[in-house]
Amino acid sequence: MNKFRLTRWLISLPPILFLLIFFAAPSLIMVITSFRFPGEYGGLAPLVAPETDTMAGDSSLYGLTLEAYRFFFSDILYAEIFLKSFAVAATSTLICLIMAYPVAMLIAQSAKKYRNLMILLVVLPFASNFLIRIYAWMIILGPESAFSHFINNMLQFFGFEPVMMLFSSFAVLVGTVYVHLPFMILPLYTNLEKHDPVLLDAAQDLGANRWQRFWRVTWPQSLPGVFSGSALVFIPVLGMFAIPDILGGTGDILIGNLIKDQFLGTRDWPFGSALSIMLMLVVLCVTGLFTLLARPRAPK
Amino acid sequence: MKSSRILISLFCLLCITLTSCTSGDQVASNDLPDQDDNILRLFNWNNYISQQTIERFEQICQCRVTQDYYSDNEELLAKLAAGATGYDLLVPTGNAMDTLIHQGVLSALDKAQIPNLKNIDPNYLGTLFDPDNRYSIPYAYTTTLVGFNREKLAELNLPTDSWSIIFEPEYLKKIRGRVTVLDSQRELMAAALKYLGYSANDTDEVHWQQAKKLIIQAKPYWAAFSNTSYIRELAVGNLWVAHGYSNDMYQAALDAQKTGRHFTVDFVIPREGAVLSLDSMVLHHTGHQPDLAHRFINFMLEGKNSAELTNLTGSGNPNLAAQPYILPEIITNPAIFPDMAQLTRLEMLQDINHTQRRLLSRIWTEIKLR
Repeated sequence: MNKFRLTRWLISLPPILFLLIFFAAPSLIMVITSFRFPGEYGGLAPLVAPETDTMAGDSSLYGLTLEAYRFFFSDILYAEIFLKSFAVAATSTLICLIMAYPVAMLIAQSAKKYRNLMILLVVLPFASNFLIRIYAWMIILGPESAFSHFINNMLQFFGFEPVMMLFSSFAVLVGTVYVHLPFMILPLYTNLEKHDPVLLDAAQDLGANRWQRFWRVTWPQSLPGVFSGSALVFIPVLGMFAIPDILGGTGDILIGNLIKDQFLGTRDWPFGSALSIMLMLVVLCVTGLFTLLARPRAPK
Repeated sequence: MKSSRILISLFCLLCITLTSCTSGDQVASNDLPDQDDNILRLFNWNNYISQQTIERFEQICQCRVTQDYYSDNEELLAKLAAGATGYDLLVPTGNAMDTLIHQGVLSALDKAQIPNLKNIDPNYLGTLFDPDNRYSIPYAYTTTLVGFNREKLAELNLPTDSWSIIFEPEYLKKIRGRVTVLDSQRELMAAALKYLGYSANDTDEVHWQQAKKLIIQAKPYWAAFSNTSYIRELAVGNLWVAHGYSNDMYQAALDAQKTGRHFTVDFVIPREGAVLSLDSMVLHHTGHQPDLAHRFINFMLEGKNSAELTNLTGSGNPNLAAQPYILPEIITNPAIFPDMAQLTRLEMLQDINHTQRRLLSRIWTEIKLR
């Protein structure tokens, strides 16, 4: 018994250490950084200024400050960016869900021998690099591409103005949905695969039509899959910066881009950390909500 | 149950791909063992030295040259600030070098080991950032200017020698969605300030707000903020006007010419003046090979080696001894090699302090969001 407990500890030690070193410690550093002053040339100002009297009894002693947070709340601008990122993430999640559900259902209902092959096809895009796939979209959506010509010819035929698809919010949505679609399909499939077909037969025997069978039997059962898939799409999209950078137009700035800018552009570590912490709090709330919703309900 | 196990392993694969793509551009600075004493380690701009030059130096010095790359001064500073070490040579632009000098992370040069310093045009020595060239030796320079599709703009009868082409709605409405500007706070601000008649280094908040207004007014007509993709888009004809660097415009012009497009990409320094970026070779204090680095600097200052850089990238060259070896179409282009009259209208960007940086960042965020 004692030996068993020891083995359990030994096995779980590496992952715990890994998380402590590479997750907990950096997060803590980030929290501290967000309360410090930025350095004159980037980085951080020293914690204790050389000429300051260390015996003085105020908080400037340790060089800690709420300045970064004050700056965050001093302008509605930053709240707007949070809202905008939320809207983009929610839209992407919704589109992913609408597109992924039929696919997941198709896979779950097809013959067993084809399922693994189909799943493989869903994840196949991951075999090539993420950035290369996004650059490919740049070519597909570019104004001189065959796809663009086709769309614009159609539009002109019906009397509309031609559109520029690349460098737009539309392109950003296309990119995010494309990249995150498998993350929605897989949890949905794992859920749908487990449904007992007998339930559908029973519903049919009780006189339910196709539509009713879906809404009253399949959909409620699949909710945990829907929620975990949504979390897997929503949270990464919220912090993403590469796709708006590459495909976005002049107005497509998301919270991820803003944070990246603070570290790689403005060299303002405290403000960048403060933004990251605000984002992390928001993500934690969302994750909490999803976990709560995804919890399997007790049958009535 | 078998299929669920496969599913789990696929998931792991997904997670690995996802994390690896976000960490793709980290500096592999500590890969090489410290004791390996025959390696010169460069931290240089992308595509900013000819492979032939590197190979020739490796032969002469019987050593190996390794390179890591950055695409932006801020990236260089950010990576050094985050602890990248072991580089012998960096090639920062003036304002980034200013920061590095103030941070005290550069080693002073021993000019006795660099006799070829005499080749450098005195106009490019003794800059504001390093008045006695204690730390820096000029390497190459670029100007930030406007590149354009010559035929298209002639057809639309638009001016090509002024910043008005990227800021005035009156002109922009004819080329809506065919214009990009640099995704750089300092560069775009400098262009707007220059157009308003101020210095590129103006830090007066009132002037910044005016520049912001100008930019927000023009933004609806721009396709995107772009730091690199404009080269390709200009060369294939998707873009008609781009705010960018002279060496990139040279590449775009060359691409358009090579692929036989029925238009020419041209570029001109706007008459209101523009930003001059002088890149210099400096020694980082964590470098292990100061002697080798000095030899490399001296080697790069030889006319032929220096000219190879310009012939490859289309950058300006402060090296007088290099001029006979530079391709005639490059050296006669006034947008790459500005004459004295133009030189007086060019300004080098100076670094700004953290309060100004934060303010500029907020203005920038507002520009992006509105």
